[in-house]
Amino acid sequence: MSQTPVSTDVVETAQLDPTKMDFSAEGSAAPPTSLTKIAVRKFVSNPFAIFGAIILAIFVVMCAFAPLFTHFKPAAIDMMNASVPPGTDGHLLGTDEIGRDVFARLLYGGRVSLIVGFCVAFCAVVLGTLIGAVAGYFGGWVDMVLMRLVDVMNSIPALFLNILVLSLFGSGFWLMITILSLTSWMGVARLVRGTFLQLREMQYVQAARAIGVSNWSIITKHLIRNATAPIIVNATLQIGNAILTESALSYLGLGVQPPQTSWGLMLNNAQEFMLTNPMEAVYPGLCILLVVLSINFIGDSLRDAIDPRTKVKISRRRLKKWRNRFSKSGI
Amino acid sequence: MTEYLIRRAVQSVLVLFLVSVISFALMHAAPGGPLMVMLPKGGSQQAILAQEKNAGLLDPMPIQYLHWLGQLLHGNLGYTYKNHVPVGQILWPTVGNTLILMGVAWVLSLLIAIPWGIYNSTRTYGISDNISTVLAYLGFAMPAFWFGILLQEFLSLDLNWFPLSDMYSMNKQGNIGDLIWHLILPVCVLVLVFLASYLKYSRASMLEVLHMDYVRTARAKGAPEKHVIYRHALRNALIPIITVLGLDLPNLVSGAALTENVFNWPGMGRLFVEMAFAREYAVLMAITMLGAVFVVIGNLLADILYAIVDPRVQLGKKGGTAA
Repeated sequence: MSQTPVSTDVVETAQLDPTKMDFSAEGSAAPPTSLTKIAVRKFVSNPFAIFGAIILAIFVVMCAFAPLFTHFKPAAIDMMNASVPPGTDGHLLGTDEIGRDVFARLLYGGRVSLIVGFCVAFCAVVLGTLIGAVAGYFGGWVDMVLMRLVDVMNSIPALFLNILVLSLFGSGFWLMITILSLTSWMGVARLVRGTFLQLREMQYVQAARAIGVSNWSIITKHLIRNATAPIIVNATLQIGNAILTESALSYLGLGVQPPQTSWGLMLNNAQEFMLTNPMEAVYPGLCILLVVLSINFIGDSLRDAIDPRTKVKISRRRLKKWRNRFSKSGI
Repeated sequence: MTEYLIRRAVQSVLVLFLVSVISFALMHAAPGGPLMVMLPKGGSQQAILAQEKNAGLLDPMPIQYLHWLGQLLHGNLGYTYKNHVPVGQILWPTVGNTLILMGVAWVLSLLIAIPWGIYNSTRTYGISDNISTVLAYLGFAMPAFWFGILLQEFLSLDLNWFPLSDMYSMNKQGNIGDLIWHLILPVCVLVLVFLASYLKYSRASMLEVLHMDYVRTARAKGAPEKHVIYRHALRNALIPIITVLGLDLPNLVSGAALTENVFNWPGMGRLFVEMAFAREYAVLMAITMLGAVFVVIGNLLADILYAIVDPRVQLGKKGGTAA
C-alpha cells in the first residue's frame, strides 16, 4: 500500500504538520506515518468503533462458546418448568411456553444469525468483487452484459426473491446463505466496477500491462489491492444487512427450521405467546439490534478511518505528552 | 431527451423480459408441481398426470412461458390453481391496501424528515440533531418487524390503546375512522424505517449546499437567514432528495411485506408470503413482475425528475445514471 503515489503524498504532508511529526526515536507515542497506521489510529480513537467492537466481540464469544455459558440445551423441552420467570432454577432469562431455556436459545440461535451474517457478507463480497472487477477491467460488451445482469437482479425486489426461492426449494441453513449471497452482491459489484474504471487508466497499470503482466495478475495484484478499503467498509455493512434479512426470513418461517433456532425464529415463536410470555419477544430483537448497531458503528468508523479527509483525533493528554517531549528535545 | 427516453424505455422492457424469464424458470425448476399440493392426499399418480396435462403443465417450459407471456400481453394474469380464481381479482385489492399503508407512511415521513433535516443542518450537533442521529441508527439497525411486535405487545395488548392487527374491526368494513385507527401502529413502524434514511439524506444534502459559494454570497449581500435557507439552499438541496424518492418508489410496494405480516394487513406482501407457501405460481409471477415494473418505473422517474428539477442535467448527453 505504501508504494502507491497516494500514500506517499499523505505521509509527506503529515510530516509537515507539526502535530503529526515523526517521533519514532522517542518510542511508543510516535504519530502514525503510513496510511494504514493513520487509519488504525483514527479507528482506535473513535469511541463508537470501540463500543461496536466490544459489543460484537462479546456476542461472538458468547455464541461461539455457548456451552461454557449455559448448561441447558436449546431444544430441550421441559413441560414441568414452562414459562418460569427469569432467575428460577438457573434459568437466567426464564423459559418459554414449553420449558426451553430462553438464554440458551439466545446463545445457540445467535450462532445461526451470526454465521449467516458473516458467510453471506463474505460470499456476496467475493462474488461482487469478481463480477465488478471483470466488468470494470475489461469494459466493452463484457461490462454491458454484466451491468445488465446487475440491473435485472436489482429489479426483482430482493425480499420477494428470497421468499420465493426459500419457499419453493425448501428452507434450510445453506440454501438461505446461498440465496442471500446471490441477492446481495450487486452493490459491491457496482462499487468495484466504478473504482476499476478509474484505476485501470492509471500509469502503473499501463506500465504493468506494458511489461507483459497478465490480466489476472493486474487485477489481483494491482487493482483489487487499491480498492480494498471501500470493499472492506461495504463488507462490514453487508454483515448487518444479512443478519437483518436472515431474521426477517426466519420470522416468516422460511429460515432455519426447528429444532434449530435463530433470533428471527424466536421472534416468530414469541409473537404467538405474547400474552403469556411478553418478555420473550424483547430479548431476541434486542440481540439483533445490538449486534447490527455495533456492526454499523464499526462500518461507519472504518469509513471515517480510511477517508483521508477526516483528521486523526488526538486526545488532549497525548497532545500534552507530545508537547512536553517537543520542548525537552530542544527543537 | 426524447431519444434518451426511448432508449431507456427499450432497456426497461428488456430488463423486465429478463426478470420474467428468470422468475418463470425459477418457479418451474422447483421440485414438486403445484398439483401435488392441491390434490387430495392419496390421489393416484395418473390423476395427477391427467390434471397436469389439462392445465398445460406438461408442456416444455419455453412453451409454457410463451403461453403465459401471451396471456399477460392480453391483460390476463392467469388463474389460481386452487378454486381457479382470476389472479387479478385477488391481487388488485391487496395492491390498493398496500398503497394505502405505504402511501400514508411515506408522505408522513417526508413531512417529518425534510423540515427536521433542514432544521438539523442549521444547528449541527445540537440536541435535535443528536436525537435524529440516534433515530437513524436505530432505524437502520432494528428489525422493523420486531419494533412492530413490541408496539403490538405494549400499546395494544398491555395498554389496549390500538387494535392488535387487521385493517378493519369486525363488521366495520369501509369505516374511515376505523381504518385510521388500525393504520397507526403499522404506519409508526414504517415511518421509523423511512425516517432513518430520509433524515440522513435531507441533512447531508442541506449541509453540502450550505457550504456553497452562492449561499455565502446570499448571506453576504444581507439576505435574511430564512430567505437564504428556503430560497437559495433548499431548492438545490432538494435535487438529490428527489432522486432518492424516485429510487425508493419500489419500496412502496415491496417494503411493507414484513410489517403487513406482523399486523395481518391484507396487502400484497402478505399475499406473496401466503401464496409462496401455497405454491400459487400465477400469483407469485404477477407480484414479482409488478414489483419489477415499479422498480423500473421508479428508476426512470428518478432520472426524469432529476432533469426537470435541475436544468444543468441534460439527459442522454451525460449517458444517464443507470445506463
